[in-house]
Amino acid sequence: MSEKRNAEAGPSEHPSKRARIDEQEDIDIDYNEEDAIPPSPPETSLVPRSATINFSALTRKLAQERRTKEIEPTSLSSLEQHRRLQDSLVSHIFMDQDFSWLHLKPDHASRPLWISPEDGHIILEAFSPIAEQAQDFLTAISEPVSRPAFIHEYKLTSYSLYAAVSVGLQTEDIIEVLNRLSKVPVPDSIIAFIRERTLSYGKVKLVLKHNKYFVESSHPETLQLLLKDRVIREARLMTVQADNSIKAATFTTSKAPVKGNLVIPGTAKEAEKKKDDGKPATTANSDADLFTSVVGVEGDEIDEDDENVHAFEINDAKIDDVKKRCNELEYPMLEEYDFRNDTVNANLEIDLKPATVIRPYQETSLSKMFGNGRARSGIIVLPCGAGKTLVGITAACTIKKSCLVLCTSSVSVMQWKQQFMQWSNVTDKQIAVFTADQKERFAGDSGIVVSTYSMVANTSNRSHESKKMMEFLTSREWGFILLDEVHVVPAAMFRRVVTTIKAHSKLGLTATLVREDDKIADLNYMIGPKLYEANWMDLAAKGHIANVQCAEVWCPMTPEFYRQYLRIQNRKRMLLYCMNPNKFQACQFLIKYHEDRGDKVIVFSDNVYALEAYAKRLGKLYIHGGTGQVERMRILSWFQHSPQVNTIFLSKVGDTSIDLPEATCLIQISSHFGSRRQEAQRLGRILRAKRRNDEGFNAFFYSLVSKDTQEMFYSTKRQQFLIDQGYAFKVITHLDGLDKMEDLVYRTRDEQIELVQSVLLASESEADLGSDVRAGEGDLAGTVTSKDFGRVPRMPGTQRTTGSLTALSGGAHMSYVEQNKSANKKLAQQLPPRHKLFTKREKDKAAAKKAAR
Amino acid sequence: MRAIKSVLLTCDPAVKEILIAMNERDNFIIEDLDDWHLVIKADEEFRVRRELEVELEKNTYSMEA
Repeated sequence: MSEKRNAEAGPSEHPSKRARIDEQEDIDIDYNEEDAIPPSPPETSLVPRSATINFSALTRKLAQERRTKEIEPTSLSSLEQHRRLQDSLVSHIFMDQDFSWLHLKPDHASRPLWISPEDGHIILEAFSPIAEQAQDFLTAISEPVSRPAFIHEYKLTSYSLYAAVSVGLQTEDIIEVLNRLSKVPVPDSIIAFIRERTLSYGKVKLVLKHNKYFVESSHPETLQLLLKDRVIREARLMTVQADNSIKAATFTTSKAPVKGNLVIPGTAKEAEKKKDDGKPATTANSDADLFTSVVGVEGDEIDEDDENVHAFEINDAKIDDVKKRCNELEYPMLEEYDFRNDTVNANLEIDLKPATVIRPYQETSLSKMFGNGRARSGIIVLPCGAGKTLVGITAACTIKKSCLVLCTSSVSVMQWKQQFMQWSNVTDKQIAVFTADQKERFAGDSGIVVSTYSMVANTSNRSHESKKMMEFLTSREWGFILLDEVHVVPAAMFRRVVTTIKAHSKLGLTATLVREDDKIADLNYMIGPKLYEANWMDLAAKGHIANVQCAEVWCPMTPEFYRQYLRIQNRKRMLLYCMNPNKFQACQFLIKYHEDRGDKVIVFSDNVYALEAYAKRLGKLYIHGGTGQVERMRILSWFQHSPQVNTIFLSKVGDTSIDLPEATCLIQISSHFGSRRQEAQRLGRILRAKRRNDEGFNAFFYSLVSKDTQEMFYSTKRQQFLIDQGYAFKVITHLDGLDKMEDLVYRTRDEQIELVQSVLLASESEADLGSDVRAGEGDLAGTVTSKDFGRVPRMPGTQRTTGSLTALSGGAHMSYVEQNKSANKKLAQQLPPRHKLFTKREKDKAAAKKAAR
Repeated sequence: MRAIKSVLLTCDPAVKEILIAMNERDNFIIEDLDDWHLVIKADEEFRVRRELEVELEKNTYSMEA
């Protein structure tokens, strides 16, 4: 390696170094003690700092020079010689990624992370004893890229640093903590990057106070800089005409807000507060180590305490121009809402019900939002089934102002309303719904309106009623706007919503901040930074969501199917790999295996043709878009309550709208190409399994994939998101005991050939995915949450034929018997008779009621 | 009957189907023995292997793609 290392390992340094190592070992044992990591050693490098500056190309060149400038081998010990030799042998393998010139700190083994000087990627050893604290810190300043079991990857980006500043972290603290955690001194390029970004980002805030917009900053020089810009200067509202020169004195100066006694309802602190009201929330943990104090809410207070903020007022009408201009100047404005000092907008007296307790991670996410006693705008990312709704409701209950909730479909509108009623003490009069069918207003000055994006963003003709409703929405000021499933909303629609509705603060909620078109970055400036992203594995370990075993089952194509697959070039290929007899058998086997274990199984198929074929052949119940409402309810209740029905087949309709907490096993036979979001959503179906807290409970997620087909490609792509969340997919190539299974379907070649022929006979449109679901009015494309999906209209073609009366009445035909009857039909038309005890009791009750009248 | 230098290929049924499909373009299969075995022309072997590789690679997802 380089002479840097040699210099450090020089004999004169040995004693001190050893001492440090010993000290480190002691600390390793009880790392919870204060200051777990000693501050990084002073720069002892003989190479001047400037040599490792910035441009990696330059550094590499320098490193190469150093390498060539060999010191006489005699001055080195044999071990070092050996090391050097090894290094030079190995380093060429890495080519551009050779970072061996970065010298490791002497105690690097106990420091968990490494930062790439080139692109800001941070590699974290998740097995390190202090990894948990490091993770807290890293999620605050960077974006998680991938979090599998042992090595995590994070990335420092402009937006993540912007978010870090927005939750109150200071530049020097970020660099200091990074340096403490890093195995190598933080590269200068990274330090420069952090400084540059944090300098501009988050330094300017847009605050609505007494219904006037203020540009606020704790750095007067930044404000002066902004005022030099023409657009911003013109938008400024002058209160004192006399003093036109731009000086710090003209800014209104006030005390920075302190979190003080703002308490997020439903948290443990609330209870604590009741005990001793006076004390601020800083009953700081005695073992408050550096990280939590930097990361946590308490740190926030310390940072901003005693600091004055400066502000100037700007014209309401020009607010958009200013925002845009600030973005161009790389001083994007943070939007914060000082809701406690807002006397103009009426308060909404809602609170969480006393019984409602929010979980620790929900509290953390909210504390990021209400860090300094104001409401910050931003996005919170929580897995499916981890209680996003409750986070939203709690936020609304904290702000206690009029609130607008936007979701993707009319079904989730009703769900949100129902959840609001369930968790908070909001009354029926205070909450209103605005959809295509229902247009209500709340009574009183303040309240909650739940609507869909498309209802609000719609610009085309509206009915008289909705026009009036829109006027109502746009005319007033909203304290809080809650945006559900933000990742699906098209950018243009979003912009319309954000500009037409005046809201003080915005909160976006989502489970999967991925889009196949990578337009996620847009959300950053339209709503705000990502405030919090939960670690799925962490939540699973703590029992908030179920532990899931994921597996990909490879089913070889039978020769007949594969021959057709290779010859057909149209969409029917999809049908062929869905209907692969080996997949059929694997599915049958897995269903049987899990039913015998006592699991409740859901089988997903996007393709309706395959869904029906599978369900009918295997004699199971199924639900797809064409299934009537009554039949559907009956099937679901059988699945939930009857021990005889342990498996149901669901089409795309089951992705989101049907909530089945009983399900513990999920099998996927056909899916929507490479959609990572769908995969995550489907996994979400079993994450909230009722039995998740049973000892050693595992839920199962199987993906059946036909080998040597496109499905393999899509399947791998689909999994990427979950893999990044830390899930590991096992590949199963052979199911043990499959051959020995009795009544295995399509066992003989003849049957398989028959199947392939029936598939070939099917029309091409049968291969379409999700063809059974029709979006309801006002639903966003791609969100399948419609509950009353109704039958897909299929116009029967009229035709004219001649025939005898006998033939027309069916007398001339052979009678037709359906062999593969849908299991749905076999269901008893009514639920099984209730127990005698209950029927009797009900009868008595009814009789008593009658008598009372 | 002329003797042709040939190679015995052992493969799984799916790969055999791919080979048969390739064979339709230009003939290289001499004898289709069973689900697992084919006899092909020896001098075509290298080309066939390469084309097969390309064909199979199409179904593999890589992060860079």
